[in-house]
Amino acid sequence: MEPAALAAEEDAIASRFSDQLIAMLPRLRRFARGLAGSIVEADDLVQAASERALARRHQFQEGTRFDSWMFRIVQTIWIDQMRARTVRKEEAELPGDRVGSDEAMRRVEARLALGEVRRAVDRLPPDQRAALLLVTVEGLSYREAAEVVQVPVGTIMSRLARARMALQAQLEAGAGIGRSRNDVEAQ
Amino acid sequence: MSRLSDDRLVAYLDGEAEAPERREIEAWLAGDPTARDKLAALARSATLLRQAYHEILREPLPERLIAAARGATTTPTGARILAFAPKRAAASGGALRRWRFALPIAASLFGLLAGGGTGYLGIGEILTGGGSGAASAPAVEAAVANNLWLDNAAGYFKMFVAAGDNALIDVPATGDAREALQKISQSLTQQVRLPDLKPWGLNFRGARLVVVDGRPAAQLVYTTDNKAIGPMALIIGSSKQPDIPPTFDRRQDVNMLYWRHQGRAYVLVGQADAGYLWGIGNDVAWQLDAI
Repeated sequence: MEPAALAAEEDAIASRFSDQLIAMLPRLRRFARGLAGSIVEADDLVQAASERALARRHQFQEGTRFDSWMFRIVQTIWIDQMRARTVRKEEAELPGDRVGSDEAMRRVEARLALGEVRRAVDRLPPDQRAALLLVTVEGLSYREAAEVVQVPVGTIMSRLARARMALQAQLEAGAGIGRSRNDVEAQ
Repeated sequence: MSRLSDDRLVAYLDGEAEAPERREIEAWLAGDPTARDKLAALARSATLLRQAYHEILREPLPERLIAAARGATTTPTGARILAFAPKRAAASGGALRRWRFALPIAASLFGLLAGGGTGYLGIGEILTGGGSGAASAPAVEAAVANNLWLDNAAGYFKMFVAAGDNALIDVPATGDAREALQKISQSLTQQVRLPDLKPWGLNFRGARLVVVDGRPAAQLVYTTDNKAIGPMALIIGSSKQPDIPPTFDRRQDVNMLYWRHQGRAYVLVGQADAGYLWGIGNDVAWQLDAI
């Protein structure tokens, strides 16, 4: 193949890869927000993951799940960052606060209840938090989540159960579920 | 079963228990009201958890993230140039010419749509190639059909925008929008649901029947005062092509996000930037369970 044709093909592949990555950004942001807690830190995490994914694009195996691969990159970078910090920020910026959103203003009460859920997630140990987000929020199977965090399926299963029970207990203690149910009933 | 552990209960709730174990757990639950309450509470908290994070999908994507995904760099102020995906190789003038050629074809070519409204475009015959492309490789045919579909979607959108207040709406959204969509669904092979895009400031204006890939499709049109987002159209049609993930494209000076899922093809078309389209497309897919 001619060098120009090769270059064009490479550009096309790179473009398709970027398309795929952009399609994933909302979910990556959601996952990262759950891990990092704050908007800015989460977006920094996603940006770093995107840059790493582009740099290691050739390592992605066609036919495997792109979302799992990206979640794994996000998770890896997050762990690296956690290790680099000795103290994790205790009081993160109020999760979900967005500037300039009319919807946020209109639904502030409902969002406070949902913010409470996010704060409860934020208080979980990091490994449980990751398992919870991957399976319950992102919809990965136990096997897929295990591949992302590189642990046996049984470990995911037990981390998830502990996370779900802890979340349940926190929400009940903080009346998170009760408040949200009231919100729903009031609507 | 000696006891119902938390691990097993959660795995059951997540659909991860194998059939024999599932039956065993269900038998246990049948005789244990406390375990049933626990299961119900876990299910509620899982729903809350998903709700708590769902809103993030609706947020416009920061441009710095789109730039990073494109391999672009941002300035310290965050300003950058968004490199839209280059036009696909086959998104040629040829496809566009065929679309333009197809416009004047009378709606009466499509008996299926006769009497169903006004303003239909005879595109379907062109999309199917009239049999002349039967010798082409399936992959090529699929690519050509995809390109035609997208060009048509862009064309329909531009017609809607150009018509302004005089835009043809088969079923206006006066009164009950769901009822309006119910009417238009009667002409389609599958029920079409209406995504609620009010959180984006997009109001459902009405629906049109259009013809894409030789079959009727629904074009749902939304308008907004926010010029950064709207107007916007969502075309939902049937497809025999394999599923594809959401893909961004730009044709005829409009942006679009398209995907196929379980026999349906979706195209979100508008002048909003890629970030908004990805966000809204995700929301649509989530609401319609299209991905």
